[in-house]
Amino acid sequence: MPAIDVRGVRVRLGDVEVLRGVSLRVPRGQMVALIGPNGSGKTTLLRCLLGLQRLDAGEVRLLGEPVGPRVLRRIGYVPQRLPLEPSFALSVREFLALRRPDTRRWFFQRTRATDDVLLRHAPGLGLETLLGRPLSGLSGGQLQRVLIAYSLLGEPELLLLDEPTAGVDTPGEQDFYELIADVHARLGITVVLVSHDLGMVFRRASWVYALNGVICCEGRPEEVMNADSLKAAYGIHVTPYHHHHHHPANGTAPEGGVPIAFHPRR
Amino acid sequence: MPEFLMEPFMQRALWMALALGPACGLLGVFVTARRMSFFSDTVSHAALTGVAAGFLAGFDNPTVPVLLFCLLVAMAMLWLRERTRLLNDTIMAVLLSVSVALGVILLSLQRNRWAELDKYLLGDVLSVGWSDVAWSTGAAVAVSALVMAFLNPLALLSAHEDLAHVSGARVRLLNYGFVVLLTLAVSLSIRALGILLVTSMVVLPPAAARVLVRSLRAHVLLTVVLGLVGAVGGVLLSYPLNLPTGPTVTMVFGCLFAVALAVSRLRSHPRA
Repeated sequence: MPAIDVRGVRVRLGDVEVLRGVSLRVPRGQMVALIGPNGSGKTTLLRCLLGLQRLDAGEVRLLGEPVGPRVLRRIGYVPQRLPLEPSFALSVREFLALRRPDTRRWFFQRTRATDDVLLRHAPGLGLETLLGRPLSGLSGGQLQRVLIAYSLLGEPELLLLDEPTAGVDTPGEQDFYELIADVHARLGITVVLVSHDLGMVFRRASWVYALNGVICCEGRPEEVMNADSLKAAYGIHVTPYHHHHHHPANGTAPEGGVPIAFHPRR
Repeated sequence: MPEFLMEPFMQRALWMALALGPACGLLGVFVTARRMSFFSDTVSHAALTGVAAGFLAGFDNPTVPVLLFCLLVAMAMLWLRERTRLLNDTIMAVLLSVSVALGVILLSLQRNRWAELDKYLLGDVLSVGWSDVAWSTGAAVAVSALVMAFLNPLALLSAHEDLAHVSGARVRLLNYGFVVLLTLAVSLSIRALGILLVTSMVVLPPAAARVLVRSLRAHVLLTVVLGLVGAVGGVLLSYPLNLPTGPTVTMVFGCLFAVALAVSRLRSHPRA
């Protein structure tokens, strides 16, 4: 049974048919990426997976069930950002405690057991120093860690991440993807990354779906990352080429392989 | 005890302040978090049409028509937000201006009631009857109980609607429920603070509390205390100072905000 099974999904927003018969199957335990240009329907497809978007046609099943409150309890979702008003004083501890029945208490009463549960179910995220801070005062990278923790507290079988490093600086991005890779390796959950970041896709994903209204192509990153596939997805000629990063200290490429970059040619 | 506190009109006014100050503040925590301050302003301005329609229909006390018209405008706002691509502030500006214009036109048809308008524009808590006190107390208790019962989903909703949906919250029901509670509290507070100033009771206590706290629990507690102190303090001060009550309550809230701001500045930049 696949983690995600999307069949012939069509969605029209106003006059535009944003999804024109999207079908894809994501096997369990994979870390996959959904790429595509702006307006290609990535966010709309994600909203369909979360039951936030009405389908004009087609069907979506997650973990073998139709999308609904029951299956959503088994899903983790990391949004692009939290559009928090600074006047909202919700602390990290209060926010995370909302995810689990055993930490969710009336009027945010705090016990030592609450912190223990939070830290035990979301280890390795550096939450210890963040729990007492207001959510709206966190940096982009800290907020992403908190959002990952929130998802993991629900003990998800499937983790959906929407442009998770938007608003995060470059070192923060690197840390974030390492964290996700670690979570994926440690817990064996299915991870779906919706991303613009093609370099990340090449390094981290085991399978790539390129979307532009329909799934234009799919495959292992090295198969999809070629000029023809990317032209189908992005509508422009894109030539992948290898960067050689020179490290002044040792003159070698960064660990984890050479990142890929794309040189658009119209 | 000062003699004026024994006066029935003062006791009614204090009851109103005791009931509405904390309840409006409690709602205000989420109003400010969800950028809905202009929403409460729009609802309160819609009350003008409720007052005028009530007078036209022969009501001496137009509380019920005010409540109904405010609810109608609130529902129209939600409906337009769901069904159109218009931005929230555009929708609110449309409804605010149309309802004020309609209210003034309806009032112009009955110039003999024109003199009573001040009471609704600026509030006159000293003239309320026991029936107003009963309505307001009942509403304040119901609003506070419901907000406290749904504090967890409301907090999640205010953080991120989609995340709340994925976490199992009934987002649409919560949104509509919150708007109904806010409309109820605002429309029943108009007799106390007036159409022009009622938003101050919703927005100023949570704004003052926010600069001093770092958690939602502390924010809610301090807001309720400031709502109570500001509303009761304003009513008590207005009588001996011979000032209009609604604006005095708002000025006390304003002073509390200034003090909170000063304390927070002192805390973050202590003198060496």
